[in-house]
Formats: sequence, C-alpha cells, structure tokens
Amino acid sequence: MTSALIATGVGKRYRRLWALRDCNIDIPDGRVVALVGPNGAGKTTLLHLAAGLLSPTVGTMRVLGRTPGRDVGLLADIGFVAQDVPLYRSFSVGDMLEFGRRTNSRWDHDLASTRIERARIDLDQRVGSLSGGQRAQVGLTLALAKRPRLLLLDEPLASLDPLARREFLQSLMGEVAEGELTVVLSSHLITDLERVCDHLIVLSASRTQVAGDIDGLLASHRIVVGPRREGAEVRGVGSVVQESHTDRQSTLLVRTDGPILDPAWAEQEIGLEELVLAYLGHPDATALPQPKLATAEAEVSP
Amino acid sequence: MIEFRLSPRSGVATYLQLVHQVRHAVRLGILHPGDQLPTVKEVVGSLAINPNTVLKAYRELERDGLVEGRPGVGTFVRDSVHGPPPGNHAALRRSLERWLRNAFEAGLDAEDARALFETSLQNSREEGVA
Amino acid sequence: MIWLTWRQHRLQLLYGAVVLVILTVFLLSTGFGISAAFRSSGLAQCLSVPGRDCGAANDLFMGGGARYSGLWFTIPLFLIVPAMVGVFWGAPLVAREVEQGTHRLAWTQGVGRIRWAGTKVAALAAAALVGTASLAWILSWWSRPFVAASDNRFSPGVFDLRGIVPIAYALFALATGVAAGTLIRRTVPAMAATLGFYAAVRLGVELWLRPHLASPSTVSYPFFGTNPRSGLGDWVLSTKTLDGAGHLLGNGKVLDLNVLGSRCPGLPLPTESLPNKDALQACIRQLGLHVQSTYQPGSRYWTFQGIESAIFIALAVALVGLSLWWIRNRIA
Repeated sequence: MTSALIATGVGKRYRRLWALRDCNIDIPDGRVVALVGPNGAGKTTLLHLAAGLLSPTVGTMRVLGRTPGRDVGLLADIGFVAQDVPLYRSFSVGDMLEFGRRTNSRWDHDLASTRIERARIDLDQRVGSLSGGQRAQVGLTLALAKRPRLLLLDEPLASLDPLARREFLQSLMGEVAEGELTVVLSSHLITDLERVCDHLIVLSASRTQVAGDIDGLLASHRIVVGPRREGAEVRGVGSVVQESHTDRQSTLLVRTDGPILDPAWAEQEIGLEELVLAYLGHPDATALPQPKLATAEAEVSP
Repeated sequence: MIEFRLSPRSGVATYLQLVHQVRHAVRLGILHPGDQLPTVKEVVGSLAINPNTVLKAYRELERDGLVEGRPGVGTFVRDSVHGPPPGNHAALRRSLERWLRNAFEAGLDAEDARALFETSLQNSREEGVA
Repeated sequence: MIWLTWRQHRLQLLYGAVVLVILTVFLLSTGFGISAAFRSSGLAQCLSVPGRDCGAANDLFMGGGARYSGLWFTIPLFLIVPAMVGVFWGAPLVAREVEQGTHRLAWTQGVGRIRWAGTKVAALAAAALVGTASLAWILSWWSRPFVAASDNRFSPGVFDLRGIVPIAYALFALATGVAAGTLIRRTVPAMAATLGFYAAVRLGVELWLRPHLASPSTVSYPFFGTNPRSGLGDWVLSTKTLDGAGHLLGNGKVLDLNVLGSRCPGLPLPTESLPNKDALQACIRQLGLHVQSTYQPGSRYWTFQGIESAIFIALAVALVGLSLWWIRNRIA
C-alpha cells in the first residue's frame, strides 16, 4: 500500500518557538484520518506543511510522493480547506465556483454545481451572507471539485451546529465512497470524528503522540482491572498509559502486546474518546508505529 | 430495501450494528433473497460514517454467506439463506416464553432473567468453541 | 486568472477610471481655452522666432490676472496620481488576502501562488500603464503653452507629468505597494509605507539624481551679452558671474558693487553714491566679467525621460521580484 502523506522528523519553528516537532507520520492511501489534539498542538501547522503553505524547518515532507511547496503541480491533487473556511466575502457563490474553475486546470464544474444545488445554496447569494454550514459546504465544494487525491480539512466542524455537522459529514463521506480519496480532518474533539475516521493521529504539545489505524488502536488497548499492582509486570501488557489505584485494586489503561492470560486481571474494551483522552492526559505515553519504513523511503527518495 | 440506524450509546462497534440489522431483517423476513442492500454511498450519505465501515460490515455478512457482492452492481441477499425455518422459530419462541413465565414465578425479575440468559448464552458458546 | 483579477479589483479599477475621466474632462474643457489664449496673447507667434524678447506677450498669457495663469498651479496635483496606483491598487493586493486569510484559499489552488501573484501584478500593471499613458498624453498637450512660455521642460512638476516617465512612476508605485503589502501584511500600514517610500524615492531622484543623469554642458557669454542658448529649452543648473581669471564674483547674473569697488580703484564706493555708468562698464570690461551657465541641453529631454523611466522600471521589476520571492518563501 502506498502512502498519501509521509512526514519524517518534521519540525517547524517560528523564531524560537517550535509549532511542531519530531513529527513522524505515515498515512496510507484511502484513509480518513482524524488529526486530534488540543488547541495549539500543531494540527494547523501540520496541515499547512502538507498543503505546501509552509516549509518545514527540519525533516522532510512527502505528499503523494512529492514535496509540497516546491512542487506546484502537486497543488492540483490537494484539496485544502483552511480553518474558518476563508472565502471572498464580496463574491457570490457562483463567483466562488468560477474562481475555482479559473484557478484549476482540473475542475469538475458539474460536481460543483450539483453539490451546491443539493446543499440548497443559491448561486447568486453573497458569500458574506452565508451561514456557517453553507460556508463549510461551499469551501468543501471548492476543494472537492478539483478532484483531489488528498483532502485536508482544518477544523471543518468547529463553527457548525449539530445539523450542519451531520450534513457536512454526510456529503463528505459520500465523496469518500465515490473514489480514491484520502482525507485528513483536524479537530480538537474526537467525538465528531469517531464514526467517519479510520485512522487516528494525536498531536499534543507539538509532537505526535499516537498514530495508527483506529481498529488496530482499539484492538491493542484495554482497560484491565486486577489486584493492586506494585510495579510487577503483567504478561501481555506492553505499556501502561494510565493507572489508578485503590488500596486493593489497580485499574490500568494499557497497550497490549499479546493476550492477557492472567486470570487475576479482568479486561475491558475501550472507546476511542477514552483512548484519546487518556493519551492527552499523559503526554509521556506514546503509541507510534516504528518509523523505520518511512525513514528508509525518505532516504532513498531524492 | 432497508434503512440502517445507529444507536449512539450502544457501545457496539458501528460495523457490527450494521451486521446485526441486516441479520435481523433477514430473519424477520423484511429482506428476501435477491433483495439489494443499500449501496455504500447511500449508507454513508445518510449515516455520515466511514465507507470502510460499511464495506467491513458487508464483507462480514458475505463471509457468513448471508449476502453476496456482485462487482459493479451491489450487494444482494443470497438465495439460500441459512437459518432456522420460521415454524421452528415460532416453537422456540414459545418455549422461551414458557421458560420466562417459570422464571418470573420463581421470583426472578426481568434483570435477573436477562443476566441468567446472557450467562447461559456465554457458556453454551464457549462449549461450542471447545 | 485575468478574470479573478478583474473580479477582485473591479471596484479599484472603476474608481481609477472615474478619476481618469474626471481629470480628462477637466483638461479638455480648459485645454482649448489655454491654447487659444496662448495664440491670442501673441506669445505663440513671438516664441516661434528665436531670440525675440517675448516679455510683454508672456505677461499677457501668464501674468497676474490672465485668465488661465491660475491653472498652471493645478499641475502638481497630477503628481499624486501614480502614487495612488500604488496605494490603492498595489498595497491591498497581497495584504488584504493575508489579512482575511484568503491567501490560504488562493495559494492552494492549482495555479500556485507565483502564477497567482504574477498574473495579478501584470494585469494591474497593464491597467496602470494604459491609464497613466493616456493621462500623460493629454497632460502633455494641455501643458504645452505653459511649458513653452516658461521655456522649461525639466523642472519638477513639469518633467514628471509629461512624456513617458509618468508610466514608469505608476509601475514603480504599483510595485512598491505590492512589496509593502507583502512584507507588512496589513493593508493600511502598507498603504502608508507605500506613500512614504514612493515619495522618498521620487524626491531623491528628482533633487539629487536627475541633474546628474548626464554630465552638464557649460556656456560662457559677456556680462552685457545675451545667452546664445536662450530659447532652446535648456535646463539651466547654475549661473555664475566670473572675472577674466575665472574667480567667482557671485552666484547668478549679479553685480556686487562692494567687490567691484575693491577691484577697480576708480569706482566710488556704493555707500557714497551710485557709480557712474561709464566707469562701471569700464570696470566690467577691465575685469573681463562674464557669465557662465551649466546646463543640460534641451535636446537631451528624451534621453532624460528614457533614463529616468528605465531607473523606475528597473526598481519596479526589482520590487516585484522581491515580492514574489517573499510570497514563495516567507508567507503562509
């Protein structure tokens, strides 16, 4: 399987402040990725690096096998919707579509007009007078009508009411079902994204903390409850993310590296939100794939 | 055609909810052999879930032999659906109801009865595996 | 992309066109009257004969009370037109996008940010070129009688409005605006910076560089003679009064009686009485008093226009280059 996005040791520094550090990510093609983390964790920086708006201070960024920023041709394959959906306020919705048509050599005008029609937005309406949900739909339409292979959405749900969120995700997932499209959505809330995403990246304090397929992450994390543990190893437990103790009992959120066979320990499955919160609460814990493959690829490529 | 619904608080994985709903519909005779399941795009467009989740559910149903995918056309309920014939079904239900009456007479409440049922189900499954 | 430039900047372009129309109407409605007065005052005919003294006709055309003499002073108003191109077209080009975050939309489209910026700058430059060229052309016609009357095409406020330099100024102002907006990223401060930088460079070139664009020529003539180069439209840079040995006796065509008194013993000191005219002339002849002018010949007018245009266009190209580099490497 090829990778839509590979970051190898990527860091971005503004003057003396690192907005992103030691970022190693490998996003396989066709995934819908939740990029989660508290505000200021570097989500926007990572997306801007991928869209070629920024260049990394250190490390290499490969998007669809090319280098963003330096390779202008790559822009045709990337749909990017920045935070707060910047659009030209004085334009009509029709003008915005014309903008897309004029600034992209590959532009699916039918797709664009159909989507706008389905969202019940008037082409003559001024962008400045659109609701948050309509803005988001227009922004998404502009990004999708380029027929991109990679779609980057920065906090697309932040300003939407629950109904608009649902409609936005419905239409987005409809496009994902249509064809080969990798999507990265950033959000500081995982609940919004739990059902639409199949890959998770958790950024915290400008570092990658968790990265992997959600199925795999959920399968390898368990809550285990057993007798109070005094530092003794439990077989099957790879690492402990979070622990709490009473005088008799220990409750651990663990990343397993095999079946937990000890009958003294009862295991329980864990939800995605719980998993994310546990990691965010314990910034020293990480769940990252071995970066060997990505490094090797980056060294070979020119 | 059926429409899927997701229960937000069930704690059951989304793809399993879809699997259960198809099985249920087939058992209750809502879906007949030859009926088409909603396309991935339709499901995704109405539930706002990841298309891979739907694909995973349909693959699981295919593995069970309940449905078959026809490339480029869609996913259809198989002609020969395995499962207890309806007559047998009704008889089993009657005996379960009899059992429940006995349980209530013995002083169990609904919660106790469910726990007992779940435990027995678990045991018989484990025996079946062993 | 041209469509986008038009769609985004059509209001600014419209305002520019309105200003151009208003100025054109003003120039046309007064221009014919000025030409008529130029002819009826006899100045046009007088000036066509080299070496004639046209003082009386000049007074009739340009003197106090003459109908159109006041319009001469509207000329400097036109100096701000190129600056406005920079302030209102150039400065917002990048700054407004960055301020509103729309650069993140524009720069992630397929055309890429360099083509985006390049096309927009080029399209606005073309509009500025057409606008200022037509204004300069009308102004050249309109101001011809004034320029002929003052026999000076080089001085500030005249040279700058005619010929081809206004076009170069406008392109320079536009590039200044784009660069200021790119570096400062905020529209209003960028507008102020554009105005300041434009004015500083223009003044610098005008006051210090323009006189030295070519090495000036010198002409000498006797104190009581006439300048053999009068009427040729020269740009006189300095006039000095010298004695036969070349010592400076005064700036301009002047007689300093104190100096003369000390050099010609027969001449009475001015405190006592006015010197006798014959004695004065004798003294002047004895000292070999003459006038020396350094000047740029009028024939260099188009050379100067060309050189100054080239300077400003080169600056404009450099500023656009800087902006594009900055857009590509420094902003996100």
